Amino acid sequence: MTETSLNDRADKQQAAHGGTLKMTARDVDVFYGTKQAIKNVSIDVTQENVTAFIGPSGCGKSTFLRTLNRMNDTVASARVTGDITLDGKDIYGADMDVVQLRARVGMVFQKPNPFPKSIYENVAYGPRIHGLASAKPDMDAIVEKSLRRAGLWEEVKDRLTDSGTALSGGQQQRLCIARAIAVDPEVILMDEPCSALDPIATAKIEELIHELRGRYAIVIVTHNMQQAARVSQKTAFFHLGTLVEYGDTSDIFTNPRQTRTKDYITGRYG
Amino acid sequence: MSTIAPALQPPPKPQPARVPTDWTTTSMQGRIRRRYRSERRFRLLGAGAVLLSFAFLVFLLISMLGQGLRGFTQTELRLPMDFPAARLALDPATLAGPNARAALAAVDLEGATARAADRAYGTGGYKLLSDGAWLSVRSAIQADPQILTRRADIWVPTSTVIDLAAKGDADAEAEAGYRLLDARKAVRTSFSMAFLTGSDSTDPTLVGIWGALKGSLLTMFVTLILAFPIGVLSALYLEEYAARNRWTDLIEVSINNLAAVPSIIFGLLGLAVFLNFLDFPRSAPIVGGLTLALMTMPVIVIAGRNAIKSVPPSIRDAALGIGASKVQVVFHHVLPLALPGILTGTIIGMARALGETAPLLMIGMRAFIASPPGGLADPATVLPVQIFLWSDEVSRGFVEKTSAAIIVLLVFLLAMNGIAIYLRNRFERRW
Repeated sequence: MTETSLNDRADKQQAAHGGTLKMTARDVDVFYGTKQAIKNVSIDVTQENVTAFIGPSGCGKSTFLRTLNRMNDTVASARVTGDITLDGKDIYGADMDVVQLRARVGMVFQKPNPFPKSIYENVAYGPRIHGLASAKPDMDAIVEKSLRRAGLWEEVKDRLTDSGTALSGGQQQRLCIARAIAVDPEVILMDEPCSALDPIATAKIEELIHELRGRYAIVIVTHNMQQAARVSQKTAFFHLGTLVEYGDTSDIFTNPRQTRTKDYITGRYG
Repeated sequence: MSTIAPALQPPPKPQPARVPTDWTTTSMQGRIRRRYRSERRFRLLGAGAVLLSFAFLVFLLISMLGQGLRGFTQTELRLPMDFPAARLALDPATLAGPNARAALAAVDLEGATARAADRAYGTGGYKLLSDGAWLSVRSAIQADPQILTRRADIWVPTSTVIDLAAKGDADAEAEAGYRLLDARKAVRTSFSMAFLTGSDSTDPTLVGIWGALKGSLLTMFVTLILAFPIGVLSALYLEEYAARNRWTDLIEVSINNLAAVPSIIFGLLGLAVFLNFLDFPRSAPIVGGLTLALMTMPVIVIAGRNAIKSVPPSIRDAALGIGASKVQVVFHHVLPLALPGILTGTIIGMARALGETAPLLMIGMRAFIASPPGGLADPATVLPVQIFLWSDEVSRGFVEKTSAAIIVLLVFLLAMNGIAIYLRNRFERRW
């Protein structure tokens, strides 16, 4: 597959579905030392849609997700080439502040990782370090709003001072989503957010993704194809570090153009 | 989705007939018995090891307490002083003013005390008294100048021989002498604050531990304020900031080696650098503290790095993911979570420094210091060195004083460990 055909296709789909472009990636390569983990990936993330990255383990979908908010910077051997933009601005450019970028592009991780602090402090930490609230009532409002949006407020409103780590796994993950929402990001990246959760907690997170859609551009990595089908409007299929196919979720699942995609979603490998 | 079909599964291959394992054969039974035996043996060995170390601890405590507690007490002799008859050229009125010290220094109190002893207990009676007995007489006059106008009984410390006899640790002749005095109700043995408030002396009945204790406190203070911040910052930098390359590997190996260097080498280093090159004062707590800080720092760095390493990376990711800067991640999350481990390591290092003698000998802290240090640059000694010096003394009276000093050192150590456990529990958090 040539890069022009991919770019053309991305542009065509862009036109066809009319989403507002939020993030774009063009010809992105990621290396860990000498090993190339991502090969020549170009993709668009739109404001209105949930974009799902699917693919077998080790195909590079998480690596690619982490380049979108430069979390790969923390890996000393990682090197990223190509262009990634947020609202048209190069996020790897010299004038991009990585701390601000990560506030604008929030992230939810595979394993729920609340801070070992109170529920309130977990949510308030982000706004506090970014100076989003100066007075206590403002902070209280942000915490309540974020917890409400994450669908956790009713469950924890009476025990905000309890440790965040004392919650159940599903609640912890929603707390992490609330924590990401609290700094008012524009994009939320989710790295297999349900892989450590039971089906009921998973259903709640998926419901939450539906509700958050539109307000935030959402990118979700999942190894669960049914989940991708349920929550996303756009799906990208990664295999061995390349983007094999990217399109509307309904097209990918009912009418895949590539044999590899078809084999994967019908369960022949992965 | 309709296209998600179940994977195609091949039919099972034919397998050879399965022979069930016989779990009841004698060899099987033997294996089970051997397994149980080895379990029992291991449990016994473990319990034995714990018992043995506990027995050592109990033995140490009992022998130390048995020897040392006597060091805190002092036998005193009742000395009837007839001040008017002694004709001391002292006027109670002058003793109230600021010239009291000079006036007291001008008269021969020592002679008067010896003469009083001779009169009360026969010729040679002054030998029953400690060399510093007249100091008690002086204190009595200072406390109440009116005592000079009358006869009074003053309790003064006895000589080492009588003191040991009172504690049942002297030869028959001394014992007989002591029993005679005891029959006259002229001696008493009681807890003496003098040991806890005094400093070193050549007379075992007059020595005190406060000088060495204060020296240790000052030295530990210097060690802590140098080694803790430098050690923790080094550990944070090496773990969180430094790139992994040949240089950091070299630094890591060097730090590990430094932690294993014999302490006397640090003493020589301190001697060469702080005394000879930088010309710092000899025997001073500041030099002792600097030398021990060099020794403690690698321990803190190693413990700190291990504690920092054990903070789960997911916490760093979480903080970075909402836009915390590197410094915020380190100081808001990593350091607080690593603090219990860092504190444990620090206390272990400090406890080692507290018990250290060899490097301090090299920088001159083994000098005879008869007054507690007033500051960081004053000559001082420390507890372990004081113990070492006293254990070397010829006089029998120093034996129990040595043990008493060991008890003080152990109590100091226990207090430090107690603080460490308290701090660790306070900062420890659940994830």
